Amino acid sequence: MSTTAFNLAPLTTMNYMNKNLHRHCEQHCLLLEISRLLNTGLDMESLSICVRLCEQGINPEALSSVIKELRKASDNLKATENSTN
Amino acid sequence: GSSITELLGALCDNSLTGVSWKRRALGGISREGVRRALRSRAYGALLAKLFQDTSPKPPSPLNTTPSRNKMLMISFNLRVSGCPEEAERLEELLDKLKDGPASGLAELDSVLELLVHLAGSVPPPLSSF
Repeated sequence: MSTTAFNLAPLTTMNYMNKNLHRHCEQHCLLLEISRLLNTGLDMESLSICVRLCEQGINPEALSSVIKELRKASDNLKATENSTN
Repeated sequence: GSSITELLGALCDNSLTGVSWKRRALGGISREGVRRALRSRAYGALLAKLFQDTSPKPPSPLNTTPSRNKMLMISFNLRVSGCPEEAERLEELLDKLKDGPASGLAELDSVLELLVHLAGSVPPPLSSF
């Protein structure tokens, strides 16, 4: 086997991985833009966690209730903070 | 990959972004106490919804509508409510989203369903003049 052939194999794997990563990021960016258009209130990080929770089999409707509940709780915290200022 | 517990914990932590802890510590409320309370609320909401789903319900056409079609219904609503550019962009983005293993997203349908459920849950950003 020539040195060129030996060096090409890892490069091809890297290219494949880069391509997959690029595709993955592209899809996440599309989802984030859809999310913003729909005024869901999800930031990039929350959306990314939600995608992973959906991949773990969490029911999306139940997950939306969790997010709304957390939003309520954090809004209450921020409201008490403002009232004590 | 992370477990469901870790991911829910991360979601709770992320929802606390912007909360000032210095003043809270003085008031006797610890960050850890708030995190615990939030986790408990998150699990409460999750389980309540899951148990509610096990009760028999008459099938609704919306329950069986694919999430992409629900998105198209939202797009239609945007169009008739005078936001044609947003509707156009939404349809364009949906077209670009690929389905199946090639997309790099294993549960695209579930994610779209989640976005449908959260649609309009926060006010639209104020447009600048």
